[in-house]
Amino acid sequence: MAMIEVQSLRKIFRGGRGLDAFSLRLESNELVGLVGPNGAGKTTLIKILSTLLPPGSGVARVAGRDVRSDPRRVRAAVGYLPDVAGVYQDMRIREFLEFFADAFRLKEPNRSAAIGRALIRSGLADRPEDFVEHLSLGWKQRLLLAKTLLHDPKLLLLDEPATGLDPLARITLREQLKQLHNEGVAILISSHILSDLEDICTRIVFIADGKNIAEAPSGAAEGSTAPTIRCEMEFDGPAGVLDQFLKGAPGVRILERRERLLIIELSGGSREASTFLQKLLAAGIVITHFDARGLNLEDRYRRAFGGQPR
Amino acid sequence: MMRLVTNPMILKELRQRLREGRAWLLPTLYLLVLAGTVLFAYYAAMDPEMGGGQREVQGADIGEVIFLTVVITQLVVLLLMAPVFSAGSLTIEKEQRTFAGLLTSLLTAPQIWWGKFVAALMYLLLLLFSALPLLTLAIAFGGVDPMQLFKAVGSTILVLASICTLGLWSSSTFRRSVHSTAACYGFVLVLSIVTAVVFGIMVSHWESHNAMARAEGPPAYVQAPLFLNPFYPLLSMLGGGSFGQFSYPVSSWLLFTAIGCLAAAFAMRSIQRSGEQI
Repeated sequence: MAMIEVQSLRKIFRGGRGLDAFSLRLESNELVGLVGPNGAGKTTLIKILSTLLPPGSGVARVAGRDVRSDPRRVRAAVGYLPDVAGVYQDMRIREFLEFFADAFRLKEPNRSAAIGRALIRSGLADRPEDFVEHLSLGWKQRLLLAKTLLHDPKLLLLDEPATGLDPLARITLREQLKQLHNEGVAILISSHILSDLEDICTRIVFIADGKNIAEAPSGAAEGSTAPTIRCEMEFDGPAGVLDQFLKGAPGVRILERRERLLIIELSGGSREASTFLQKLLAAGIVITHFDARGLNLEDRYRRAFGGQPR
Repeated sequence: MMRLVTNPMILKELRQRLREGRAWLLPTLYLLVLAGTVLFAYYAAMDPEMGGGQREVQGADIGEVIFLTVVITQLVVLLLMAPVFSAGSLTIEKEQRTFAGLLTSLLTAPQIWWGKFVAALMYLLLLLFSALPLLTLAIAFGGVDPMQLFKAVGSTILVLASICTLGLWSSSTFRRSVHSTAACYGFVLVLSIVTAVVFGIMVSHWESHNAMARAEGPPAYVQAPLFLNPFYPLLSMLGGGSFGQFSYPVSSWLLFTAIGCLAAAFAMRSIQRSGEQI
């Protein structure tokens, strides 16, 4: 089932930025990363899907419900965490969760159970009477995520959820999101931290100027449609032998060379990379490290938005 | 109907307000001001020279002076406080970035509005009712009957409720508390002072053309600007004495009710559309 169906969505602000015929489909088993430069329209899209903003034109459905005509059912299905989410500093943790449980109309015994789950999920089960203001930013973010999940949403909309978090808190957040995805919650997450997205997302969607950005086919070299794979290797022994070998190898492009490190682009995919490695070894070159994982998200981002891959 | 009472916003708002440092400070200051006013009114009433004659001072005279002085003073003080409690209540959610959480919950715009309104008004009512013992002092002196007290409290509540709705409207419109509160004070100033000035101009014009009719007081069309004055419902209901000429309390109630309803409707619409502000 499609949790998000967005077709030709437009939203124009007075300043001009917004969405311009953006389309997206997100299935219930997906964890999709939304990536793009500042002002690309990521927050606008998430705000529309969470019913905070009305769409200009086009279709925007969440869990089969139109965000414009059925916002209450959409809200019941969605958990939304904005980029800079505030908390009520002068409330106790338990009171904070109770308030949002009531705001989502949870009735007993579901209400108490949901609050208990949220306390456990946030790791704050042993301090429910503490004031929210005494929590660090990382703990607040965990509390906010737990609050967002109180009503068991089918879809999570997360707008830059890792902003301002320290590395440990980011790791915890990543683990929580992976777990939620495994539990069947569909997630759309916008972030500039590409390594985090690369780690957890099942798919990446690029957006710029409010439009879908078609990514060059994975592994395709710039200006070419033929697939390529990027290989990073370290070797021992005289460099001359390797140079000689590379001169005679077809479809090889040297991207970077530093002492014993070599980064090349090879025509083909992983099978060709494997054959290439076998030939290297057969030629008597000692390879101490060989990594042929293709383009990482940072490279794909550079390709999508005009920068050069490393 | 039950949801009006069980609205989670009300509990949250009251809890937060009563945890603020000013929760006990304001009532204390408020009661000190009113106690000072009572003392002043008492000694003023006891001073025969201030009454303009040498007649013996009656208990009823003291009671009447204390009552009028306190009800007017408390309305002045509460009019100054109402914008503080109402005009910042939605903007603070925007400033603290908590508004998105409310708007994406299952709370409706009317529920959010109602929670904020009740919380703002309840705090003002707490102040109002805490001063009741001072007002009943006037009844003990005589000259004031309990019905007058009831009318004074009722009209004060009506005016405060209207000002709170104006405060919430400006709070729903602006992004920052300072702008919203300034706008609400602007409304209070316009209603309190501009209407009085317009009335003053109209009445002097009317008096210059109707010298014979002065004793009956100005007609409704001359008083009309005052119907919007926050003091008019109070003074017109108390009637008698120098306020006897203000004889259209119902018109004033209706206008204040209409202002409140309009401001509430605009505020709810503004809350529904405030996604762009957060």
